[in-house]
Amino acid sequence: MSDSVKPSGADEIPFRNPGWAGNTGEFDLTEELVRGEEYVGDLPAHGGHPGRAPTYPYMLKDREPEAPLFEGPYEERFEKIRSRFPTARAALLPALNLAQEIRGHISQDTMREVGGMLGLSDAYVRGVATFYTMYNKRPVGRFLIQVCTNISCNLCGGDEVLAAFLEATETEMGETTEDGLFTVMEVECLAACGTPTAIQINSRYFENVTPADVPAILDRLRDEAS
Amino acid sequence: MAYPYTHEKEVRVLSRGWGDPRTRTLEGWKALGGYQALGKAFEMGREKVIEEVKASGLRGRGGAGFPTGVKWSFMPKEKKGPHYLLCNADESEPGTFKDREHLRWSPHQLIEGCLIGAYAIQAEHVYIYCRGEFFEATQVMARAVEEAYEAGYVGEDILGTGHRIDITVFAGAGAYICGEETALMNSLEGRRGLPRVKPPFPAAVGAFGKPTTINNVETLSAVPHIVEHGGEWYRQWGTEKSPGTKLFCVSGHVRRPGNYELPLGFPMKELIYDVCGGLREGRSLKAVIPGGSSVPIMSAEEAEACSLDYEGVVECGSMLGCASVIVMDDSTNIVKQVRRMVDFYAHESCGQCTPCREGTQWLSRILVRIENGRGREDDLDTLLELGDQMTGTTICVLSDSAAAPVASSIEKFRDDYLALIRRGEKVGAA
Ligand SMILES: Cc1cc2nc3c(=O)[nH]c(=O)nc-3n(C[C@H](O)[C@H](O)[C@H](O)COP(=O)(O)O)c2cc1C
Ligand code: SF4
Ligand code: FES
Repeated sequence: MSDSVKPSGADEIPFRNPGWAGNTGEFDLTEELVRGEEYVGDLPAHGGHPGRAPTYPYMLKDREPEAPLFEGPYEERFEKIRSRFPTARAALLPALNLAQEIRGHISQDTMREVGGMLGLSDAYVRGVATFYTMYNKRPVGRFLIQVCTNISCNLCGGDEVLAAFLEATETEMGETTEDGLFTVMEVECLAACGTPTAIQINSRYFENVTPADVPAILDRLRDEAS
Repeated sequence: MAYPYTHEKEVRVLSRGWGDPRTRTLEGWKALGGYQALGKAFEMGREKVIEEVKASGLRGRGGAGFPTGVKWSFMPKEKKGPHYLLCNADESEPGTFKDREHLRWSPHQLIEGCLIGAYAIQAEHVYIYCRGEFFEATQVMARAVEEAYEAGYVGEDILGTGHRIDITVFAGAGAYICGEETALMNSLEGRRGLPRVKPPFPAAVGAFGKPTTINNVETLSAVPHIVEHGGEWYRQWGTEKSPGTKLFCVSGHVRRPGNYELPLGFPMKELIYDVCGGLREGRSLKAVIPGGSSVPIMSAEEAEACSLDYEGVVECGSMLGCASVIVMDDSTNIVKQVRRMVDFYAHESCGQCTPCREGTQWLSRILVRIENGRGREDDLDTLLELGDQMTGTTICVLSDSAAAPVASSIEKFRDDYLALIRRGEKVGAA
């Protein structure tokens, strides 16, 4: 007998936690509170305190593939990053993160530029950049939708959620919609297995997602984009 | 999640305050008694801190369960150059979802643990290596580090003691293997995340070639409590060999999946049927993976008899790992789920060792064949033989981890495999 979880039968998926805003407990939690948005505040482009500077988003909604690298506040951040490590090489991952934040993907030219700034060869940077899955070697849609289909999500219908996104966007895996908005991909465990299915859209997690939620999520993103 | 559910059987030491947004702020953490332990640690002196952690019996929460105090004592006593402490926040073992909650609900608890750990091993810099995908949690963590710097708990002359410890939050870029300690070091150094051959061990030659200790988020988060209340106090929970509380990440077919902090040695049966609300109506338990996808799968019988401490799970034929309990009811297609796990390892293998690089691919191909009803009976022997060749022959244990679910599922659910093979039955969408 195969798994009996079906996209339409929401009653067969009682694994839906109240999730973010369950509000069934002691605290009145909104999504923003759970995510800590108030606490984190705005992210200064210069990176704030140097101890914090190496951590930045990979996937902003707006990106400029031709933007200059590490100028103005970004230069300041790049210098802060360098100051945190005993070797120049160690700044490579944070620098690539920053480059992707600015440009949206890491092209061969970007690799060359970043390598040049850190005194690393082209081939070396390419070797590193291609090792890690979060570096987009090619441009992706404005919203990169990554659906976890690993075991815990899979047990609760992850494959159906993935299928629902592909169907709703009329794309194949990894392909970008014609309007440039969406790219849907499968992803390995996102470490949110208790709230299946977990998906990541750009830098944000959405949890407890069922196929029925897919249209609303896409609408929300379209709104954000317009 | 500890929120919105909190079960009465939970003992919330590390997760106390989770669900309350105030906890993540410096002020909120101090209101809960935070940063007291740090001052106390400086008064105790490093030797005494290590002794206390040894006395508590705290074991590493990253999977291997190695005693933390003992690990710290491997660091050179005479300092010749920089020492480093790395906090492993690269949580990506399928089924595990506790470290993300630590990062975003109690970041100051972790900072305090990092500072005490760094002091004990004479490290001047702590790198918190966060999983790249954890953008939100990492930002909360990073903001907390900034706050702690501003308040003088991190950086120069901490609490006027003259000690200097820096903390840097580092974000990875997507690679499960970077959770392996030596791969993490390579990644931090700006290299590909390839595990290193040991020896030399990290305490001798670690990050940037210097003596280094690496600890999991949850391990370090327990440290302030142990220092504050003493090792004996920590032993009031758990068993002789597995003391303390542990976050259990329960996922899969239970009514209330989530993170539950319970004393080690807690009965699995009670965890599934009481704390997590049991299974869906009309379903029965089929299998449990007790420690994340890298450990052998258990039959329902084994699981129901199992007590959740490091030794107890081994007695029942598996390992506690990071206490990530994946529950499967009788609707589960075991072969499909095992194939899904193997695909994960095939995708995440760093490719350095032939048995792992090739073996994971072969396991996957054969399992796909069986799943699609084109399997042969001798495929099972081939799978087992492949698994044997992949075990104990490689630089790190990812290869062993890929083989473990295959071998254990063939042993315990052979009929499921045979049914697919014999019927030539094609499996449905799920
Ligand atoms: C393939 C592989 C992946 C691992 N992933 C993680 C991880 O994501 N997080 C973690 O804390 N430990 C992970 N570990 C274990 C670490 O190598 C290391 O043992 C641990 O971080 C030590 O910390 P502890 O002593 O506090 O447990 C992994 C090990 C292997 C072999
Ligand atoms: S066992 Fe696999 S993941 Fe580990 S070092 Fe070898 S090839 Fe890499
Ligand atoms: S299995 Fe989907 S988030 Fe872990």
